Amino acid sequence: MNRATKHLLFAAASLLAVSAVAGDLKIGIAEALTGGAAQYGVPIRNGFQLAADEINAKGGINGNKVVLVVEDEQGKKEEAINVFKKLIFQDKVLMIFGPTLSNSMFAAGPVANAAKVVAFGTSNTANGISEMGPYIFRNSVMESDVLPVTVRTAVKHYKIKKVAVIYGNDDAFTKSGYDVFKKVLEDQKIPVTTTETYVKGDVDFKAQLTKIKATNPDAIICSGLAEEAATLMVQARGLGLKAPFIGGNGFNSPKLFEVSKTAGEGTFVGSPWANTNPTPANQHFVAAYKQKYGAEPNQFAAQAYDAMTIAAAALKSIKVSGNVTTDREALHGALPKVSISGATGPFKFRQSVGKDGKPAGYDADQTPFIYVIRDGKFVLFTGK
Amino acid sequence: MEAFADFWATYSTLIFTVGIHALLALSLWLTLSCGLLSLANAAFMGIGAYTAALLTLHLHWPFPMVLAAGALAPAAVALVIGAPTLRLSGVYLAMATLAFGEVTRILVLNLEITGGPEGLNGIPLLTTWWHILLILAAAGYALARLRRSRMGRAFEAIREDEVAARMMGIDVEGHKLAAFTLGAVLAGLAGALNAHSTFFISPREYGFENAVDILTMTILGGISSLIGPVLGATILTLLPELLRFLHAYRLAVNGLILIGVVLFLPTGLWDSRRLRQLAGAWRTRREGKP
Repeated sequence: MNRATKHLLFAAASLLAVSAVAGDLKIGIAEALTGGAAQYGVPIRNGFQLAADEINAKGGINGNKVVLVVEDEQGKKEEAINVFKKLIFQDKVLMIFGPTLSNSMFAAGPVANAAKVVAFGTSNTANGISEMGPYIFRNSVMESDVLPVTVRTAVKHYKIKKVAVIYGNDDAFTKSGYDVFKKVLEDQKIPVTTTETYVKGDVDFKAQLTKIKATNPDAIICSGLAEEAATLMVQARGLGLKAPFIGGNGFNSPKLFEVSKTAGEGTFVGSPWANTNPTPANQHFVAAYKQKYGAEPNQFAAQAYDAMTIAAAALKSIKVSGNVTTDREALHGALPKVSISGATGPFKFRQSVGKDGKPAGYDADQTPFIYVIRDGKFVLFTGK
Repeated sequence: MEAFADFWATYSTLIFTVGIHALLALSLWLTLSCGLLSLANAAFMGIGAYTAALLTLHLHWPFPMVLAAGALAPAAVALVIGAPTLRLSGVYLAMATLAFGEVTRILVLNLEITGGPEGLNGIPLLTTWWHILLILAAAGYALARLRRSRMGRAFEAIREDEVAARMMGIDVEGHKLAAFTLGAVLAGLAGALNAHSTFFISPREYGFENAVDILTMTILGGISSLIGPVLGATILTLLPELLRFLHAYRLAVNGLILIGVVLFLPTGLWDSRRLRQLAGAWRTRREGKP
């Protein structure tokens, strides 16, 4: 046996040994990659991919490689259920990230919960998601955690006495945002001069804004998506309405400025993530994302990136046996204990209480960032 | 056996959806068989789904009664709105029923009890495979009998020529209303079954897009027989799932296949007359030669 053959045999043997020990850690990604919700789903998928590639480049988790099984759920409830079932029963993944929309999570979440597989949402902000069961996790910060801080900060800054409210009443996201605003205003004892509504696709808000102007509010609270909010701002300024806006998560899009230009000056918005947050974890994420995808990351990509980091921390703390049932259970046990400092800042889980009063799934326990719009840009509000 | 258990665990919802879509396609087939181009069936499905889900969630009715209510509620609505709107025909009827669908959707969006745009979640899983199979089989049998009955012949006469049918002494308005209402019953049942197999319903599932989906399934399958709509529903439901291996391209391929069918088989996939001709041609070719 010559030397080369020996080397080859040795290499083959060591390769066999490695592949016998190291299993792949299969993680399911169920996001809306086509259809209307793809604008959220695609950056989310990119965030996961970036994090997984970085983990694998560093040698994986305890020597095991992370393998993502990506499926498109189209933002439809039946598709979300089908994809969840495929990932759980056919691909036998350890856990699932997604789906993109809260509606899809309401349909697919119970499937994962019944199969005792972790379903980890990174973009579901509706109330009642984590109440579905102990296997439902999310690191998306709920509006009910962000808006009280946003309102309190804006009220203090502008010395607001009374506000007007306007919201889109045919969209699950903007309607639930309104419900939270309403409760926050009641809690903080701020009188509402008038409450106006519009529907998705409206382009003329002058009737509502004229009414608002007549009540002379100190600020306008708006639960809407960026497209409508931008038009609202422009028309408000056109009518001579100078009160500043206070918005929800729907404002967090560059689209806001494409239409509104500088009409949104002084608007207060809360967000779980700040592009300019100077922590090394965030700066690294922003730079790596830009390099890999040639585009600016958004909040959804950041939350997905952090979610993968959270899962990796949990996977690192358990011993993967190769038996999918026990590994899923071990992962479920380890996840709630994870606390990291990621692109969205310090993070830990908070257990929620289900409809039956028993402890259920896990929500994000995070402090939001407050932005104010200055010169057509989101600027981190620092109290000045 | 274990392979089957795995298969069932993965694809049971998909198979349920096939059955429910088949029921929807049959509901539209019924209204089309009387010459009514209705886009209200998605709204009827929604009314059935919401009625059933609310009865289960708040009043805890037994499932068979929930299903019955889910079928009867849209039927009652169909009787009320059918009387004035069914005087219209062709595209005008399509527009009126479309408007009804939008009104229903906006009503559901703004009511408190329906959960508004956030929908209803936490609906218990009560639909089983035999519920769907039983209802689909019963509907198929009833429709097959109906076709050959006095009523079914009357539907066909009205579809072919309304004036001639009236001259023959057929109660055109009554028969149209019957077809419209029975279609609503089937759509409502489909809605009730769907609500109890997917945990969640929201108003956006019963809008214009879904009305068109139901129409596509029925027309693609072909309306010359009952097999057509069922076939159309099955193919349109399974195709996106079967093409999943194509990833990003699957919706494009899905669309191309549909265009191909419409171009080359304009009367639908299952056209009994064409199939008979094909069978006849094959027989003469085989028997004609010595």
